[in-house]
Amino acid sequence: MAQREHIRNFGMLAAFTILLIYLPWQVNLYLRSVLLFTMMYVVLSLSWNIISGYTGYVSFGHVMFYGIGAYATAILVVDYGWHWVPTLFVGVLLSFVISLCIGYPVLRLKGPYFAIAMLGAAEGTRVVATVWESLTHGGEGIGLPNVENSFETYFAMLVVMLITIVVSYWVGHSRFGIRLNAIREDEIAAESLGINTTFYKLSAFALSAIFPAAAGGIQAYKILYIDPETEFFILVSIYMKLFAMFGGKGTVIGPIIGTFILYIVQEITWVKFPTAHLIAFGIFIVLVARFMPRGLMGFAVDKGWARKGMVH
Amino acid sequence: MAEAEIALDIQNLKKHFGGIKAVDGCTFQVPRGRISGLIGPNGSGKTTTFNLLTGVLQADSGSVFYGEEDLMGLRPYEIFNRGISRTFQITRIYREMTVFENMLSASSMKMPVGEARERAEQLMEFVTLTKLRAEYGGNLSYGQQKLLEFARALMTDPDLILLDEPAAGVNRTLLNNLLDHIHHLQEEQGKTVLIVEHDMNVIMNHCEKVFVLDYGVKIAEGLPEDIQKNEDVIEAYFGHR
Repeated sequence: MAQREHIRNFGMLAAFTILLIYLPWQVNLYLRSVLLFTMMYVVLSLSWNIISGYTGYVSFGHVMFYGIGAYATAILVVDYGWHWVPTLFVGVLLSFVISLCIGYPVLRLKGPYFAIAMLGAAEGTRVVATVWESLTHGGEGIGLPNVENSFETYFAMLVVMLITIVVSYWVGHSRFGIRLNAIREDEIAAESLGINTTFYKLSAFALSAIFPAAAGGIQAYKILYIDPETEFFILVSIYMKLFAMFGGKGTVIGPIIGTFILYIVQEITWVKFPTAHLIAFGIFIVLVARFMPRGLMGFAVDKGWARKGMVH
Repeated sequence: MAEAEIALDIQNLKKHFGGIKAVDGCTFQVPRGRISGLIGPNGSGKTTTFNLLTGVLQADSGSVFYGEEDLMGLRPYEIFNRGISRTFQITRIYREMTVFENMLSASSMKMPVGEARERAEQLMEFVTLTKLRAEYGGNLSYGQQKLLEFARALMTDPDLILLDEPAAGVNRTLLNNLLDHIHHLQEEQGKTVLIVEHDMNVIMNHCEKVFVLDYGVKIAEGLPEDIQKNEDVIEAYFGHR
């Protein structure tokens, strides 16, 4: 049964991949960019989902890892002349190490205290990026060379998104993921039943930090200019949370669907209502939170269209 | 009752919460391979003692030895991995995880997945929850949640099982089934069981040894029939005659 389900799910992923390989050749530069940024938010919301959806530690500071990745790429490309692709690995490694250093003390906090601590950590990182001018060029930001071919960043983002989906799928369908869910549900019970919660929380946190770094690096190379205000913008953290919650946090498919719908809705409302799009977007979110608190996947489960749980 | 080897040696255990002496110098030895009961009036420190034994709370002083091993200062998962499992007074099942996921969550990562799934299926069948395997834990009745928690505690085949009020909210038929299984664990597999329970029928008919706490201190221990007649115990429960 489980085997058939995995085959079906990977079949769907293969079809989705083929579509995303085909699409960029058929659309203009603007739509190609929309697709790229949609995939970027899939990476971000799935990553957020690992620590916040599966493990229950709601982070308001995940933009920090995205910003770190962006800066790693920009600095290494501009100041050290690296090719942009290997810089992504440096950003990932840096985010991994920083996530362990920050995660160890911060994951001792719970609920709103953790959320606020993460918000503070992201803000702290933004301040460091602003004042450490010799490394980050400070508030002036960094301009990257305009040699970007929109296809290479598109396909790089596609690869990062596919890796994130596969890792999220593995987490969601493994005993590792079940243990993260147990921590989310009741940390004392989880620890009393043999789960080393410190290890699992830290692993989830580190895992959730590495993909945003890669996405941030690609994004920096794509948009050609970065500064602390945009790379550590709190709205990015809020978007990744909203997209995951809209689709259904704690699931694999939820953040993907949530991002594709909401990001495109946001893009349309932005085009149609340039001044009021945030209000329209906000009303939409309030309605969803009111009528579908567990997101689309929770709604589907309630209606009997999807099965309960991840492991069957 | 012949003298049994000691499984759990608790010496002068203390835990104070501000001015409240929840456990105040508690000393007793749980015999290996037997079913023992821990009783006492409300607020006598039974659950706090369980929390101290399983590392959920850290004791202010005293010692707890499991065989030769000192459990003081260990975290709950380390104690669990030494073969001590527990249930909770108020069930702590994972409400938004299915029954099957609840079971798998307690399997050891060293156990192959297939084996863990098989054991989960067997235990769910034993507690008659197989039909509810895909249901969220939070949707079960309280009695079913108790059974799920009991089955979950057995996933790793622990040597010492601490059950905090297993009878509460469980119907008589299921309770008898559960007690039969506890006896099976003890008689066939030599497991040690320590039960906190307010249902005196369970304690008197199923425990070989009973410890009585009052105000965080052990006031009596012995065979169930002796405990029933013990003046200190009667006074603790009913006050002065």
